[in-house]
Amino acid sequence: MSSFSREQASVFAAPARTSRAWSAAGVLLLLLAWHVAARQLGPLLMATPWEALLAIGPLVRSPQFFANAGVSLMRIGVGVLAGASIGFALGVLAGHSARLRGLIEPLRWLLMAMPPVVVVVLAMLWFGLGSPMVIFITTLMMAPGMYVNTVKGMLHVDRKLIEMTHVYRYGPWLRLRHLYLPALSAPLLAALLIAACGGVRLVVMAEVLGAENGVGYALANARSTFDTAELFAWVLLILGLVALLEFAFLQPLQRRLGRWMEPSHA
Amino acid sequence: MLEMQALSLRYGAQTVLRDVDLRLRPGERLGLIGPSGAGKSSLLRLAAGLARPSGGVLRNGFRLPVLMFQEPRLLPWRHALDNVVLPLRGAGHPPAQARALAAQWLARVGLDGAMQSWPGELSGGMAQRVALARALAMAPDLLMLDEPFSALDPALRRQLAACCGEELARSGAALLCISHDPEELLGLVDRCVMVDRGQVTSIALDGPSGGGHRADAQRLRELLLATGRQDTHPTS
Repeated sequence: MSSFSREQASVFAAPARTSRAWSAAGVLLLLLAWHVAARQLGPLLMATPWEALLAIGPLVRSPQFFANAGVSLMRIGVGVLAGASIGFALGVLAGHSARLRGLIEPLRWLLMAMPPVVVVVLAMLWFGLGSPMVIFITTLMMAPGMYVNTVKGMLHVDRKLIEMTHVYRYGPWLRLRHLYLPALSAPLLAALLIAACGGVRLVVMAEVLGAENGVGYALANARSTFDTAELFAWVLLILGLVALLEFAFLQPLQRRLGRWMEPSHA
Repeated sequence: MLEMQALSLRYGAQTVLRDVDLRLRPGERLGLIGPSGAGKSSLLRLAAGLARPSGGVLRNGFRLPVLMFQEPRLLPWRHALDNVVLPLRGAGHPPAQARALAAQWLARVGLDGAMQSWPGELSGGMAQRVALARALAMAPDLLMLDEPFSALDPALRRQLAACCGEELARSGAALLCISHDPEELLGLVDRCVMVDRGQVTSIALDGPSGGGHRADAQRLRELLLATGRQDTHPTS
């Protein structure tokens, strides 16, 4: 991994930050496409963005809302955290040992190649309906992505810096905290972003297929009663949660960890 | 004490060092001189524990050997001060003491105004001064220098070599030093060995006289010229 140098502050370098104005234009374009599609399909099949927005109020005031949202958030949190932690820990160990890497590789391949819906069906058989099943699936599906990114990152850490930490007798904790974690911050945060967003989708899908509560369960209920406005209100809330995770937590963290790459302020 | 007996180092079919016998006692200062690719850096890497010998005996009884590399090797995501603080923390210094010691050493190498700079914001010379502060702050009993000043301008090179020399005289630490500049090397060491084609031979030196190390420096240059791969700095 190379450090920032003055020469890199070139006009030809790709812009680091995504344009916010163009992102807003992209959102408006999506809303417009949604509106047009809803008008074409009719209220039974698709609510318009405005109808979905209006349905959020009654949905939030309903007695089951906080119970369903709470249990889903708990499952997402525990599943993503467990999956990311297991993937990261195994990735760090496998980054140090070619033998362990070889041992884990078939399992990694199996989990990444397996369609999530197959895992959901199997987990329903093993665990029945409810939180253990949903958390198991989320953990199992999230860990490989984090593992792959950690291993790849570990193999690209500057060997010269690793040697320096040995000469200066950094202990394992100091090495993990001040060498590996910063060196891996970019691939790890990308993996965490994918894991967090993927985790939300996976939990909702698992709940739709096999849970007695949660957002997915509420979505399935709304679908069965043809309450399209409520169904799309849930969709908006899920999108809001993903946006919150990405823009309020992961992106600021990414910017904070990447401060050393910013051009000199001198 | 650092002891090498019949030491050899091979990378695949290539022999880098063979039958090296070398002894460095506490407080001794030994200079390694030789053409590029002769095996000097490999010898230092063996002594620092960064490479394993292919044969022979290697014993390093020094409590805290520290190697200062040819390039700074600073953590790019930590400020200059933290780069000096972290090894001290690893060595068991309490946080406040480590910061005070690091700040003191950075000030001593003239970097009191750059403590909160990222390594990417420092010039090559400044970064190498941070690396020197990091090495000396550890108070090593064996300091190994692998041409650490070769990329710096002559004035800064002299200044940092003098700083090193003062600290070695104060602490009594042993020194194992590679330099392409005979004058600079002779200002730091008591004796020299020639490393050429993987083998180590002692060099007889007269020691400082009225004209400084001029006679010995000339002798080192002649020896290097005789290897046919001379790469010393021109006579200043």
